Amino acid sequence: MHRMEGIVNQKKFYPNYFTYPAIIAFFIFYCIPIGASFVMSFSNWNIKRIDSPKFVGLKNFARLFQDDYFLLALKNTVLFAVVTMVGIVVLGLLLALLLNSAVKGKAFFRTVFYLPAVLSLIVVGIMFKAVFKLDGGILNQILTAIGLSGLVHDWLGDGQSAMWCIIFVQIWKWSGFAMAIYLAGLQGISSDYYEAATIDGATKWQQFKNITLPLLAPAFTVVITMNTIGGFKVFEQVYVMTNGGPGNATQVLNTYIYKEFSKGSLGRSSAMSLLLFLMIAVIAVVVNKGLTKREVEM
Amino acid sequence: MKKKTLGSAALTLVALISSLVIICPLLIVILGSFKDAPEAQAFNLALPSSWHFENFSVVIDKGNMGQAFMNSMIITLAVTAFVVVAGSLNAFVVSRKKCRFTSFVYYLFLLGMIAPIQIVTTYGLLQMLNLTGTFVGVICVEAALQMPWTIFTLSGFIKNVPKELDEAAFIDGASPLRMFFSIIFPLLKPIMATVVVTTAMGAWNEFMVPLYFFNSASKWTMPLTVYNFFGQYSSNWNYVFADLVLTALPITILYLLCQKYVVAGATAGAVKG
Repeated sequence: MHRMEGIVNQKKFYPNYFTYPAIIAFFIFYCIPIGASFVMSFSNWNIKRIDSPKFVGLKNFARLFQDDYFLLALKNTVLFAVVTMVGIVVLGLLLALLLNSAVKGKAFFRTVFYLPAVLSLIVVGIMFKAVFKLDGGILNQILTAIGLSGLVHDWLGDGQSAMWCIIFVQIWKWSGFAMAIYLAGLQGISSDYYEAATIDGATKWQQFKNITLPLLAPAFTVVITMNTIGGFKVFEQVYVMTNGGPGNATQVLNTYIYKEFSKGSLGRSSAMSLLLFLMIAVIAVVVNKGLTKREVEM
Repeated sequence: MKKKTLGSAALTLVALISSLVIICPLLIVILGSFKDAPEAQAFNLALPSSWHFENFSVVIDKGNMGQAFMNSMIITLAVTAFVVVAGSLNAFVVSRKKCRFTSFVYYLFLLGMIAPIQIVTTYGLLQMLNLTGTFVGVICVEAALQMPWTIFTLSGFIKNVPKELDEAAFIDGASPLRMFFSIIFPLLKPIMATVVVTTAMGAWNEFMVPLYFFNSASKWTMPLTVYNFFGQYSSNWNYVFADLVLTALPITILYLLCQKYVVAGATAGAVKG
């Protein structure tokens, strides 16, 4: 009797229609476009004949893999995602350890380190154009001042260095965010572990390696997953700082998709968008599975 | 004892130097926004020889920032209001009721946590619905993008709100909607601040969605306007800097006032585990 009442309660009290507004918005404006991408990737959909796409089979994909610029964008995106992820994972951890130590003025430093995470990427991107500018740019001024004027050059105009500048900006922007996640993890580690380890004569490094790192595993999972996915999605800072140039040296998938979209080749850009989607989905699942498994083992 | 204070001083020095990497470029922008063009172009930390407050009025006027501010406000408020109300209603039922339907909903939104938006076909969809270039279209797309994170954060919190409260209200004969808004919603206050601030910041800073869907300048948001302004006035760094300051100001103030909630937004996912 009591149990039946519970079920009645559930139905009446937690009605499914509560979930509908969110589901409808999400389904129409997020899920349908994903489904449509699967279909349109196999068509010659174009802005000029937006209502009459024709089925062209695998042609879009076949052409993409013969397109050197697409392959370059793919390579750049992977490089960007991997390097920025590693940079943010390491630098974020160092900042968190620094703020978890005997440092003075913790609140101030926490505020400053996190600040870049709230700024718009457009604002940050334009600001860094001033940093990396050839004549009078901040970086070149510093290099000249410390007697390294031989290194002065057009950072964003040179295909060799432009990508690294954009990578730097991403690390600059998101390390503080990672720091906040690590700090939350660090604060959850009981000081008993360290006291016990000290009594047993463990060195600081041993404590870090055997207590801190393993207990931070959930934080690592979040930071690594988020920043790998975020790296693959990179768009704004490239669009603002180099727009994929010089030439195609800093072209990434999202800027190339936008370029093709602007030309009106909707089928082709859908195909790229779909590939990006599949790559991110696979990476997210693999990374998360791998890391979560390690968490359990540890 | 002495060794300890020495170590602390060394660590503070390291923190100070690291923070300069963040503070210096920002300071150059802020100081530059008060300088004249040649002085701003020197990109240094010197104080302006004379303070040019008129840079800001020039930028507001030439950069069409009044309009952009209003546009950004409309979008941010609408997205945040919709995401918060629809998201909390959804999260409430999903975290209270265990059945096939709710676990389907859970996985549906999990997809949204991972996969990037399919922007080209979204463009086609808005075209079909006659929503390209409209606020409604952009608001719907941005709301859909922000929904998953909101729902996961809120359901994590609602799980810890005692169920007995719903039952007490049920005995009093309240309707589900009334029960939700008069009993559950007020209890969500602590997490609500985090959700509201995080959603608002996301909507305010969003660039890709308005870039793809607004072709007329009259609907541009702050980040779009600043990008366009930079293209036109890239030789007048004093104006560009003033434009950057005005664009970043609302978010920075919000951050400094609600720092606790902003940072909680970052760690909400991490704690959930």
